[in-house]
Amino acid sequence: MLSLLSCFLSLLSFLVHSCIRPWTQAKISLKDEKEIDEGTSYVAGEEETPKGLLREQMPRHVAVIMDGNRRWAERAGLLTSQGHEAGAERLIEFAELCFKLGIETVSAFAFSTENWGRHKIEVNCLMSLFQRYLKSKIHFFQSEEIRVSVIGNLEKIPESLLGTIKETEEATKRYKKKHLILAIDYSGRFDILHACKSIVKKSQQGLIREEDVDQTLFERELLTKCTEFPSPDLLIRTSGEQRISNFLLWQLAYTELFFSPVLWPDFDKDRVIEALVSYQSRERRFGCRI
Amino acid sequence: MDSNEPMLLLSSRIGQIGDLGLDLLWRFLHIVVSLFHIVSGIFEAIQSYAISLGLIQKYSSVDIEKLRCLAVVLDIEVARDVAKVVELLQWLKTIGVKQVGLFDSQGLLKKSKDMILEMVPGSTLLQETGEKDISPDRKEGIAIEFISSSDNKEAVVKAANILLKRHLKTSHPEKDEGNNVFTESHLNEALRVVGENVHVPDLMLVYGPVRSHLGFPAWRLRYTEIVHMGSLKYMRYGSLLKAIHKFTGVRQNYGV
Repeated sequence: MLSLLSCFLSLLSFLVHSCIRPWTQAKISLKDEKEIDEGTSYVAGEEETPKGLLREQMPRHVAVIMDGNRRWAERAGLLTSQGHEAGAERLIEFAELCFKLGIETVSAFAFSTENWGRHKIEVNCLMSLFQRYLKSKIHFFQSEEIRVSVIGNLEKIPESLLGTIKETEEATKRYKKKHLILAIDYSGRFDILHACKSIVKKSQQGLIREEDVDQTLFERELLTKCTEFPSPDLLIRTSGEQRISNFLLWQLAYTELFFSPVLWPDFDKDRVIEALVSYQSRERRFGCRI
Repeated sequence: MDSNEPMLLLSSRIGQIGDLGLDLLWRFLHIVVSLFHIVSGIFEAIQSYAISLGLIQKYSSVDIEKLRCLAVVLDIEVARDVAKVVELLQWLKTIGVKQVGLFDSQGLLKKSKDMILEMVPGSTLLQETGEKDISPDRKEGIAIEFISSSDNKEAVVKAANILLKRHLKTSHPEKDEGNNVFTESHLNEALRVVGENVHVPDLMLVYGPVRSHLGFPAWRLRYTEIVHMGSLKYMRYGSLLKAIHKFTGVRQNYGV
């Protein structure tokens, strides 16, 4: 009850502030155009940094565990598939907002290895959703210059989806500034084991020696080698669950963890800003004494 | 033209009053939100003391059997306060927790482990034992494991090296992709060889200013509930009991 009230008050304060700021800025422009502060000028393609956030302290890599689609659908009286659709739409909005705020990499836990244990109909629906969304958003990714990578086991996913994944990755591979990583059939433990097997292969090919195997080399063999910043600065998990559920186990050592009670399809712009404000207010030490 | 000037003046005055009004409203809202947070903080403190005194029935009995292994992550600054760490362990023993993994990234607690074990009555150093191998003393006491960052990535790399060597010793390593050597159970076994515990904590309590597990062994964290407890200096027995009680009510789907 208290946390709900707290969320409501925070939201109210954001809403009021959102109303005040445009209103007062409109008044300023009517009064005297010369007084407009050049520092707040809007650059096309960038989101004006909301009050309370510092652009220079934005995380470089944000990861998200998109939990709560099924519960959201149940509460709204909708089908589970509609919940996942809403979740997919929310992911696109989330990624768009993050990129506009200057965040370079967004990772999303779309489907875990454990999710194969769900009902077959739901699993098929999810695979179909991924394919449909990726295919329909290729032009969007290209127009926004977003590079898309998919990480995971990928051995069990349908051929058609695999084809769409390759097509999307190929169509967007040249973009550097914005990177969306989708984890499909991903498991943190699988990632670590996969790195071990990759090292074995390279060792057999004579590319590395046993004594070369250290943390740095190991990290370069993980599935997140597709990005320059494999370790997220911030992990957001929605729907109130407080665990990382086998997502990026190795990479999350010093990641700030933000657990939100809000269900994923309801995780809108205000919630994102709340998470980022919380991130920027924390003192990160990476295990060292400052 | 002349008639416009009074109108402009009036409009300007109204605008200024409006700006002032909105500014006051904004500040008022700030005060309300700040007061709310202060009040909720006081409420939490009162609730915590009430729980400590056993006044809230709900928390008087905790199903501790669900909590087989607890991890406590301590920020480097917090880990220096050994007295507080000892107090925390004593509380955990009182609650009935049987197995605790104490983690700090630099290994400060590892260096003080003898002192800590001495100061917590009934505590033993956790050894890698089978489930049946529990002595009668252990049933009453608390087993403590001391962990640092070297038990995380370094340990996995060492374990990976063991598996790599094992793989290279097979009769046809060039034909085998390693699927029979690199499995979760093999890595668990290799981690044990390296001297690591592979017990998976059910719950992790993080003490310190940062909401991060600070490099706790990643391999063990798959389904661990993570709760940030705030400062160790101002820790409360009631808050600890509340966190453990809340954990016992959590239902995990494990992705299914």
